[in-house]
Amino acid sequence: MTSQEKDIETAIPDLRDIPVNRLAELGSSALAHSIALYRERLRENGIPLSSFQARI
Amino acid sequence: MTITNHPLPEAAFTELAEGGGGPATMRRLGDAQRSKHLMLLHAVAEAATGPETGPAAFRAGYTQLARIQDTAPGAAAWLLGLPHLGGWLHDTLIRLDQGTAADFGHFACLVAAAAIRAGLPVNLDVPVQDGRVRLPGLGSLLVASGKSWVRLRGDGKRVTVGDEFAAEARLLGPDDGTRAGPAGWSGTPAIRAAGGGLTWTVLLETGDPYLDRYTLQMRTAMSAGEVADWRERVRSAWQIVAGRHRWAAEPMADVISVIVPLTPRSDTDLISATTPAAYGAIATSWPPDEVTLAETLVHEFQHVKLCGLLDMVPLASSGDQRVYAPWRQDPRPAGGLLQGVYAHLGIARFWQAQQHAETDPDGQLRAQVLFARWRPAIGETVQTLLETGSLTPAGVRFAERLRAQGQQLMSAPVPAGAAQIAAEVSLDHRLTWQLRHVAADTAGVAGLADAYQRGKPCPGGARIWLREDVRKVDSGLRSRLLNLRYLEPTRYRALRADGVLPLSEADRLLLERNSEAAVQAYRSRITGSADPQPDAWIGLALALRQLPPWLASRADPLSLASWFT
Repeated sequence: MTSQEKDIETAIPDLRDIPVNRLAELGSSALAHSIALYRERLRENGIPLSSFQARI
Repeated sequence: MTITNHPLPEAAFTELAEGGGGPATMRRLGDAQRSKHLMLLHAVAEAATGPETGPAAFRAGYTQLARIQDTAPGAAAWLLGLPHLGGWLHDTLIRLDQGTAADFGHFACLVAAAAIRAGLPVNLDVPVQDGRVRLPGLGSLLVASGKSWVRLRGDGKRVTVGDEFAAEARLLGPDDGTRAGPAGWSGTPAIRAAGGGLTWTVLLETGDPYLDRYTLQMRTAMSAGEVADWRERVRSAWQIVAGRHRWAAEPMADVISVIVPLTPRSDTDLISATTPAAYGAIATSWPPDEVTLAETLVHEFQHVKLCGLLDMVPLASSGDQRVYAPWRQDPRPAGGLLQGVYAHLGIARFWQAQQHAETDPDGQLRAQVLFARWRPAIGETVQTLLETGSLTPAGVRFAERLRAQGQQLMSAPVPAGAAQIAAEVSLDHRLTWQLRHVAADTAGVAGLADAYQRGKPCPGGARIWLREDVRKVDSGLRSRLLNLRYLEPTRYRALRADGVLPLSEADRLLLERNSEAAVQAYRSRITGSADPQPDAWIGLALALRQLPPWLASRADPLSLASWFT
């Protein structure tokens, strides 16, 4: 496998095939961990805003 | 039940790091955003308890979404990819964290919109805000009764709201300007733009409170004439993007679903923005022309892509260090610099192509100068970024790829006149920033002055550090005019011809490229004043730069400059 074929580990759990009413069944899993991390980022940094101003 | 995280192939990461991203990579970013929304939705669901109307409406919407996922996955995917959902989720989580009231009920509106759009049955209590029921991504309907909640029902074909609104579901869609909707219905303005065989459909969002989240307010309550103007401008800009900047146009058509018009503070400000809370949305104030809007779309789309990647792979750690960014007046953190340099790779590419597409001399000059200005900024800024030490290992790999792309741009030819203007405005920006934000150790400066006056060799620089707005630099008008020369040559010529601008004699000489006289005029200002005159020092540097090297080396003030180096 070449380096370009390798996968990078990401921070977002793959929930594409899970119905919302079954998310709770995941319990204290990787999902809870990902949510905690994301909320911590939100608390620490807020929501960054890329804002560009050009005077014309 | 076990889950794994979204995979991101190294090849997709590389594509993004090089400023691009094909359809497969965009699909990966979009899929991850839908998972992110599901993740955050689950977090909100855990908090939506209790008998109150809001949490109850949320729970009903949640159950309805599960049914939609089962019966109409495409409709669920539409909802989970809506920037409106992202905006609401982020605001709700922040409110929950802060202990303030969350607008749980709005989720029922989002689910109702997905059901109506897909022609599915729906039966939900939905909140009325400002006399309207909002159906994000579609529009809003008027509720005149003054109720704060109404029951929205639909059988897939017909929708009723309480006993005061009824219409065919297929008519409750965005307003593309071709037909009037049912009485009481306001469709979100939609723009269908076609160019170069590529079609882009985008909403002009003027009503959703969760997309009114930028540094400037959303432009709401637009007149029909204003909407028509936006449609025309977006369509013209799309002709440019799709016709000449295909690398950006194809993924943009897939990813960007919303433009949020902003209210600028003044007629001469162009503001554009993006937020990771609303992936797929671009905000901008009214652009002065279609080329500027095309550039803004390319610029902001770069931010959107990077926001999507950053959700998946952290590239920079948060830190307090602030550094120079060639496109900003203020010192920036590493995260902001990374976003900025990524956007400017897109901008440099845009102007590289645009310089060959412009037909009138003023348009060509603008494109050439902007290309010449931004291409060296890529490598320089990546170097600054690496030196902060704030990048993660993935961030370093990303930055190195970005730098290589910047280096590739450096080999393209640029006319000498345009290169000269670009170098001049870059120098003006950097020096202005340094004088505004760099503080120096007083004792060190005194040591330098003493050594200079005694004719000793330069003992090395004083200790310096960053302090925002440590001194005032009064050169705004000159800087604006230096930029106006190529951004709006016609206006520049008119302003200069009027002769009414309150310019100093030295600045006037500099703008006339009477460089030797400008050097003498700045020199007189500096030596004739007991104050530091930082704007005159910048002007002196600019004027010296205009001189031919043999003349510059003869000029007296250089003895000080060369002594420092």
